Amino acid sequence: MLELVGVSHHYMARKNSFDHGLHHVLDNVSLCVMPGDTLGIVGRNGAGKTTMLRLMAGIIEPRQGLIRRRAGASCALLSLGLGFQDSLSGRDNALLSAMLQGVSKRDALASLDEIREFTELGDSFEEPVKTYSSGMRARLGFASGLLTRVDILLIDEVLSVGDAQFRDKALGAMQQRLGGEQTVVFVSHAEGQLKALCDRAVWIEQGQLRAEGAPEEVIAQYRQPVGAGGGSARQP
Amino acid sequence: MTLSHYATLIDTMARLSLKADASRYFFGYIWWVLEPLLYVLVFYVVFELILQNRKEDFVVFLMCGQLAFVWFSKSLNQASRSILGSKGLVGRVDIPKSLFPLATIQEGLYKQAAVFLLLFVVLFAKGYTPSLVWGWLLPVMLVNYLLIVACSLFAAYLVCWVFDFHVFISMATIFLMFTSGVFWDPRDLDPAMTHWVLTLNPLAFLLDAYRQIMLAEIAPNAVHLAIVGGIALLVALAGLFLLRRHSRFIALRVITS
Repeated sequence: MLELVGVSHHYMARKNSFDHGLHHVLDNVSLCVMPGDTLGIVGRNGAGKTTMLRLMAGIIEPRQGLIRRRAGASCALLSLGLGFQDSLSGRDNALLSAMLQGVSKRDALASLDEIREFTELGDSFEEPVKTYSSGMRARLGFASGLLTRVDILLIDEVLSVGDAQFRDKALGAMQQRLGGEQTVVFVSHAEGQLKALCDRAVWIEQGQLRAEGAPEEVIAQYRQPVGAGGGSARQP
Repeated sequence: MTLSHYATLIDTMARLSLKADASRYFFGYIWWVLEPLLYVLVFYVVFELILQNRKEDFVVFLMCGQLAFVWFSKSLNQASRSILGSKGLVGRVDIPKSLFPLATIQEGLYKQAAVFLLLFVVLFAKGYTPSLVWGWLLPVMLVNYLLIVACSLFAAYLVCWVFDFHVFISMATIFLMFTSGVFWDPRDLDPAMTHWVLTLNPLAFLLDAYRQIMLAEIAPNAVHLAIVGGIALLVALAGLFLLRRHSRFIALRVITS
């Protein structure tokens, strides 16, 4: 469904920081996501997780390496705090979000009530998003992403925010989708969620793939103190 | 993305933005006509009251040029920053980057429809009645729109490459305001100079065409209009091509800006 072959990526940074102004975000990363897979990605802040999701979604191009996506596969990236037009209401943002994902205006309009209901935002759904708390944004982002049918769902920490009740609801909805053929790549710091949802996990550290395998094992390696886990933990 | 979905998206983005804009301001939709009128008022105070311009019907003359110029300059300035200003969306979905400037231009087009309507009312009140020649307004407006699209797409592309370019765009707009005959008449110049101003500056040609049609009932030079429109169309297509070809590079520039 989705394959990364030797993908490296760097950003231009200030001249006297990083490697003479080159910030290496990903370094020769290869991995494969099969249809119906749920892949979890763990790693510290700044390890390159979000960049990896953006590369997978085709938003940016890798500096080196290849990204193969099954022809015609649609892809949605759910991330926190991004992608909303602050002055638009929750409803208008949900409409725009669905349409940008390729849904026709008629279908997008028809799905709005379902999204409103799922978010449980009530009248706030009609208010500008700039008045939302981060939890409310997460609700809107998750609902508008999940209810848009796409082949590959890329989730960036969206489930880490929000109150316990909504997290459970979102998790339940995710599990329902995962029963089908939904392919998901999932970045989270909530280890319980990763263990519950994912069939496989990878650990990214300083742009490199440090470990790959069953979520429990990968998370255990990731939890070891820095230096103790090391590069030797990498599995084929 | 199909062409019809692309067009619906542009229209929806423009309408949503207009709605959000109107709810932000106390005067809401009234600003659509109030803002251009205030521009005219400023020029009126300076040129009619302070500098004692003796041109006949100066207010009408000013409105015909100024209202079309403001359409061009505001659209260009806003559209040129529209991709950078949509960092959130650009970082989340792989979409054609031309959507952002085109949606901004579409927003300006809806506002301009109200502005032209106001202009017609003023002209009518001042005794200028529409005739068959006024039919020329449609192609002139179309070429005006194409010119806005052409300049905006290129400007938006360049601003993503080098952010500093937006300073240049603001300067260029001021330069154009002074050289396009917004508050002076190119036809009052020495004939050779009139020829050069109207030939070299497509915006001056268009502003003059509006006035010639509405105030003097004279049709514009059709060949000249077609050439300006043709070049604008080609430049607009080139801009679309560049934005499409470098879409992911632009996304990277926007995300890291």
